[in-house]
Amino acid sequence: MDSSTFVRRLRDVVGTARPRSTSPVSHAVSDVRTDRDLKRVLRGEWRSWSGASCFVVERRQEPSARHGRDPVGTIAARFAEGSAGAALIAGGRPARPPFLFLDLETTGLSGGAGTHAFLVGCGWFDVNGAFVTRQFLLTRYADERELLAAVTEEIATVGALVSFNGKSFDAPVLETRYSFHRLEWIGASLPHIDVLHPARRFWGMRESCSLTVLESEILGARRVDDVPGFEIPGRYFQFVRSGDARPLVDVLEHNRLDLLSLAGLTARLLELVRLGPGSARDAGEALALGAVYARAGLPARAREAYTTAIAASTRLPAVRIEALRALAPLLRRDRRYDQAAACWQLLVSVRGCPAHIVREATEALAIHHEHRVRDFAAAKAFALRSLDAGEHARWTEAVRHRLARIQKKMGKSEVSGLKFDGESPQTPNLRLET
Amino acid sequence: MADLAALRSSVLAPRSGQDQALDAALERLAPGRLPDRPDTPDLHVTSVRRLPAQAAQCAPFPAGLDPRLLGALEARGVTRPYTHQAEAIAHALGGRHVVVTTPTASGKTLCYNAPVLNSILRDRSSRALYLFPTKALAQDQLAELQATCETIAAKAGEEIGVFTYDGDTPQDARRTIRGRAHVVLSNPDMVHAGILPHHPRWAKLFENLRYVIIDELHAYRGVFGSHLCNVLRRLGRICRHYGSSPVFVCSSATIANPRELAERLTEQSFEVVEESGAPRGEKCFVFVNPPVVNRQLGIRRSYLSETRRIASEFLKRGLQTIVFAQSRLSTEILTTYLKDDFAGIPGGPEPIRGYRGGYLPHRRREIEKGLRDGSVRGVVATNALELGIDIGALDVSVMAGYPGTIAATWQRAGRAGRRSGRSAAVMVASSAPLDQFVVRNPSYFFDASPEHALIDPDNLHILVDHVKCAAFELPFTTTEVFGKHDVQEILGALDEQGLVHLIDTQWAWTNESYPADAVSLRSVSSDNFVVVDTTDEARVIGETDFTSGPATLHPKAIYIVEGKPYQVERLDFEGRKAFVREIDCDYYTDAITYTKVTVLDTFANGSDTELRRSVLDTPECDGARASAAGVGPRGSNHGEVRVVSRVVGFKKIKFYTNENVGSGELDLPEQQMHTTSYWLTIPASVMGQLPLAPDDRRDGVVGLSFAMRQVAQLLLMCDRHDIGISIDSEPAPLSARIFIYDNYPGGIGFSEPLFRMHGELVTATRRLIAECECENGCPGCVGPIGSTGPLAKSAALRILDLLLADAAAA
Repeated sequence: MDSSTFVRRLRDVVGTARPRSTSPVSHAVSDVRTDRDLKRVLRGEWRSWSGASCFVVERRQEPSARHGRDPVGTIAARFAEGSAGAALIAGGRPARPPFLFLDLETTGLSGGAGTHAFLVGCGWFDVNGAFVTRQFLLTRYADERELLAAVTEEIATVGALVSFNGKSFDAPVLETRYSFHRLEWIGASLPHIDVLHPARRFWGMRESCSLTVLESEILGARRVDDVPGFEIPGRYFQFVRSGDARPLVDVLEHNRLDLLSLAGLTARLLELVRLGPGSARDAGEALALGAVYARAGLPARAREAYTTAIAASTRLPAVRIEALRALAPLLRRDRRYDQAAACWQLLVSVRGCPAHIVREATEALAIHHEHRVRDFAAAKAFALRSLDAGEHARWTEAVRHRLARIQKKMGKSEVSGLKFDGESPQTPNLRLET
Repeated sequence: MADLAALRSSVLAPRSGQDQALDAALERLAPGRLPDRPDTPDLHVTSVRRLPAQAAQCAPFPAGLDPRLLGALEARGVTRPYTHQAEAIAHALGGRHVVVTTPTASGKTLCYNAPVLNSILRDRSSRALYLFPTKALAQDQLAELQATCETIAAKAGEEIGVFTYDGDTPQDARRTIRGRAHVVLSNPDMVHAGILPHHPRWAKLFENLRYVIIDELHAYRGVFGSHLCNVLRRLGRICRHYGSSPVFVCSSATIANPRELAERLTEQSFEVVEESGAPRGEKCFVFVNPPVVNRQLGIRRSYLSETRRIASEFLKRGLQTIVFAQSRLSTEILTTYLKDDFAGIPGGPEPIRGYRGGYLPHRRREIEKGLRDGSVRGVVATNALELGIDIGALDVSVMAGYPGTIAATWQRAGRAGRRSGRSAAVMVASSAPLDQFVVRNPSYFFDASPEHALIDPDNLHILVDHVKCAAFELPFTTTEVFGKHDVQEILGALDEQGLVHLIDTQWAWTNESYPADAVSLRSVSSDNFVVVDTTDEARVIGETDFTSGPATLHPKAIYIVEGKPYQVERLDFEGRKAFVREIDCDYYTDAITYTKVTVLDTFANGSDTELRRSVLDTPECDGARASAAGVGPRGSNHGEVRVVSRVVGFKKIKFYTNENVGSGELDLPEQQMHTTSYWLTIPASVMGQLPLAPDDRRDGVVGLSFAMRQVAQLLLMCDRHDIGISIDSEPAPLSARIFIYDNYPGGIGFSEPLFRMHGELVTATRRLIAECECENGCPGCVGPIGSTGPLAKSAALRILDLLLADAAAA
């Protein structure tokens, strides 16, 4: 195949050429120009670490400046006061200050060797209550190794990383970049608080749990002319191809605001955990607190939070069901059997309670009446009701077994002269208290 | 139903009983003919060959194997390897790439497991990557390898991590596997889309990769092979990046060019080990040609009915039997027939099962298990069971129709009697010309060399896709080479699309996509249709690749799964879904496809005398072929074409009688592709010399194309669906063209060799038609009468004679 045929067939396969947006410029000239433009357009500078230099953009949000409803200084204080409880939202891993907020901008979402982290955004509160961001920008692919080395030095001194979905996305992307260059990703050995998970727990009732939805609903922050996420890789490629840094200005700002909102949300979570259910704005937050305390081995605080959630959720059946279902076993474990039974009883009476939960509750009530109250008629009635609620063969088998045993006990009771009137069980009239 | 007792009791029958049953069945098939006898092309049974048992030939293990490995092998009963194993192991230990081509069940796995385990015992950081063409084969091998590793762990305390890593591996297990696996069993698709693009996570593997094992090498022909070659090119780049250069150990079924295929796929030079030292049981191989029922029309008894009859002879004697059918449809038809004959106990296990691609994995696993434990007595399968899935040793393999290649035929025959004991293989010819040629010339099969596996890794569609994937994985440098074409030129074109960008001396990937996701190694496009049963609640019951979707899933098509017919109610072409409902019917459907070919570019044509002469000098022409090849007549062409095809209607064909019981018209979207083609131009001068009416001339061309297609398939040794055919008499009523094209976008390397074999193609086609016994055409030469006109046979012969006379004059 001659070369013109090859080129023609190649065009058929690859597609017709798009007009080149820039004419090739000699590298020396373009490097100088790019460098000058970078500093001017992005208002950043080249900075050196031991053996690595990288283009860095640093900004400081003063304590008096607002982010959403609150001044940054207030958020900083909230964060500082609550940071002792960070382990509670970090899934139990010890998390110590200093905390570093981390957010990447990447050339794609799919991961893999061809996905680059072109912007590594780091943020922290300084001693005066200002929020400082330091963004490491990959200005040339060939400089990636140096960027990574600089980032390593940046995070070497921190106590924990804080991110939004970073365990699933940012950390694996960075890990891949470090492996690509045969460098060690030291972030792997640091405690990492991924705020997405507690955020889902506390605020997951919303239609979306994205950072932008949360920053507006929880922090009251609004963005103006924010660059949509899907445009970000394209803007970076535009910069790579043209050397023109202007498309990146909004990307850096987007990343900075992401870091700020991440800090704001984290501060709010820590505040909730510190102050307890009294500070919860709605039943959902109280319910989430219950789960956080329960996981942290604080049953008394968990019971308090769940009780608050139950009280506040008369119109929120989903929250109510979950809170009752979580509270009942806590009460039982604390030997408050009657209160636990009251929970199960309330649970059964929630309209629209799913069948498997009804089954679980009636089962618990049957046990309660058989073994604690020794009201076999009630136990039998609950067991029969749980039989209605479940269809699984093994389940049915277990219930039949229970029924047979209750029946036997009932027989004995009659012989021993105890009263049995065969009526439906009376609902125990217990007040729920903690 | 009367045969049920035999079916059940046989499970426990002793070996000698099986041998007697086998002899009895063979005696029914070919009375008094056993053992070997001369071929008799005109009889019902055209050939009976008895392939003798062979005793084991052993050799000592090569020096240098770790004593802990030898100890473990000894504990597992291997003290002296077969000669081919010893030879292959020695090559692998010596760092030489090696391909082993010995028959099924000759112990090929030891050839690669020994050097791999040895390297790990010697250096704990060593890694190996095994590639199998299917996930199921990897699962199969996992068990064996793990058993050996457990012995090593028990005896020597060395833990060796062996894991499969494929699409079924749970996400949360993947990290552990990446960290702990010494040996990774995977498939090309996973390496392509799941491992190479994530190579930094696999850095440990790539830094220490000592061996790459490619099992079932012969499976990588055509499109799949062309893709694999590119995946291996990418693997090579990544290995160089991490500083490793693995040794390839490959195994292959018998093909003519194992060395060539291995060298083309890996672009490395290879040693070949082909003499098997493994013992073999005796096997009887029988060729059956269904008798002629109408001499004038050349119609033979249906080969499917004949297959049913023969398979029943074995099944009712309690012999476990596998029946290979040519297509999904004939698999379902034969399953239906045999289920009718051998119904199971109501509520008990089904003794007869169907098995083909498109069945969901759990159903397949269940059938494989049934075959191993003997509860499944007969299975009707497509080539899906041809590869080395472990289904144990069966007694008999019956092939309904010639599998299309010598290699595939041996492979299918090898499914019976894998280890020892007597076994039989029967090939029942269909009336297709290729089948007829083979069944009437048994020595072509038994004595000739098997086929060449052809690939074209530099097909531009395929190459460009992999250049994208490679650029994503590691930036190309401005001096780098990838494949036969100028990769810098390709990168330049990708640059214009915004996919890569040249910075200094490197092409960086500048796109947010993950290119491997858009590339399927099994086809040129990764599209497929899913089949949704809506009889009760909607559930997926099968799938079909995009190209064959319209022909098998058009509205009102009958889609059969394990003998149960479903009717397509709606085809959602855009959504790639076919909605079907169970139906009770006594017919199946056969789509009518209209195809039109347009020439885009002619690369070469046979009017160039120098080129025609060079045909004779081409070294690729081996002895047998060169004798048949002459200077071909003019009119051969090779070039690029556009093929437009559309399913325009369908026929309803009644089960058993094959009567045409109705038809329908369809309006489905066209499918279009650019590919490469060979074509024969029959000049106006030749057409003008035919003393026939225009319609009869056209019949002659149609008949000629029918025969040529079959001969082309034989010469290229390709699968039926690898090539397509179309005729074209539009440019002028007096000239005509017959196209034989590569049935894949961009072409896959068939049309060019066919162009070189033009002379042979024409003379062999003439021989096929002239030597056929029918009067006016039959399915064995120019096509069944009725599809072609009454003069098709004579007109086709006249055309060929005129073309050959013209060539002689020149």
